[in-house]
Amino acid sequence: MRAARWGVPAVLWLAALGFGVAGLLGRPGPAADRAVVDASATSQVNSQVDTALARILSYTPQDTAATAQAAHDLLSGTASTQYQTLFAQVKGQIGTQRLTVATQVTHSGVVSLTGDQAQLLVFVRQTAQRQGSAASTVDGQLSVTARLIDGHWRISDMTER
Amino acid sequence: MSVAASVTMAARGLAVLAAAAAAWGGWSWYAAAHDSSAALAAGRDQVLAAGEQAVQNLNTLDWQHLSTGLSTWDQSTTGDLRTQLDQGQADFTKQVEQAHTVTTAKVLAGAVTELDEHTGSASVMVALQVTVSAPGSSPSVKQSRLLGQLTRTAQGWKLSDLAQASTTDS
Repeated sequence: MRAARWGVPAVLWLAALGFGVAGLLGRPGPAADRAVVDASATSQVNSQVDTALARILSYTPQDTAATAQAAHDLLSGTASTQYQTLFAQVKGQIGTQRLTVATQVTHSGVVSLTGDQAQLLVFVRQTAQRQGSAASTVDGQLSVTARLIDGHWRISDMTER
Repeated sequence: MSVAASVTMAARGLAVLAAAAAAWGGWSWYAAAHDSSAALAAGRDQVLAAGEQAVQNLNTLDWQHLSTGLSTWDQSTTGDLRTQLDQGQADFTKQVEQAHTVTTAKVLAGAVTELDEHTGSASVMVALQVTVSAPGSSPSVKQSRLLGQLTRTAQGWKLSDLAQASTTDS
């Protein structure tokens, strides 16, 4: 009796909260592009990807382990495989040439944001220095794909445009 | 009917009414939010399309079709940027006619970084490949990273400011 008595209002409350109604009419959620439109989601993916890029694209001869660990934590899928291959090649040079690279994200924007996937355009400035020689700076732009995994945005692909 | 029973009935009736009202409110809220986010998304796409096109236009000019090129510049811009372009037009025309340069541009990628539908202002970032050809030398190709401000006008979104973030030879 008790269950039946509260059964009807419970269904109505769920409907009132929008779950039932939104479900029937098709939520805007997964398919809709929330880039810029959803300011807080956009700024979250922006800042997490910017931070991740600066960390994985910066290294010092003293601390290649920190960069490798950052790559392990912040990359996924194709980007992870690409990065491990590349990093294995340059790791030797970083040590023998005493090479320090610092990457700074100068501007970034979210191109699309749907469900758990985002596309970003990022302008970067990279400063490289070999011990005993002058530093050189290169600017470039990257197209980055990020995926939301366990509540955190990880980079799954990167292409220089 | 006992007093307790009628109180229960009345309470249940009220709960149903309240839930129905809340459902209606929830639906209205959902519909409004859905409409405005769909409109915002459409606005964002318009800003990106207009911004990319305008940035490309301002990096396109053929010395043989100067007046067409410069009128496209005018149509793509508004405010301070348009004033600056108009002021520099005479000198610029002279240089381009002497050098016989043809400049073309290709948008590599672009993103909207800010959009305020209320005030009608927006910001975009665009990565561009610019090719400049002049007779007697091989074309120079550069990559340019640009930051644009757009302002909404009666004729749609137009560039009101354009700055170079950085440029590199490619």
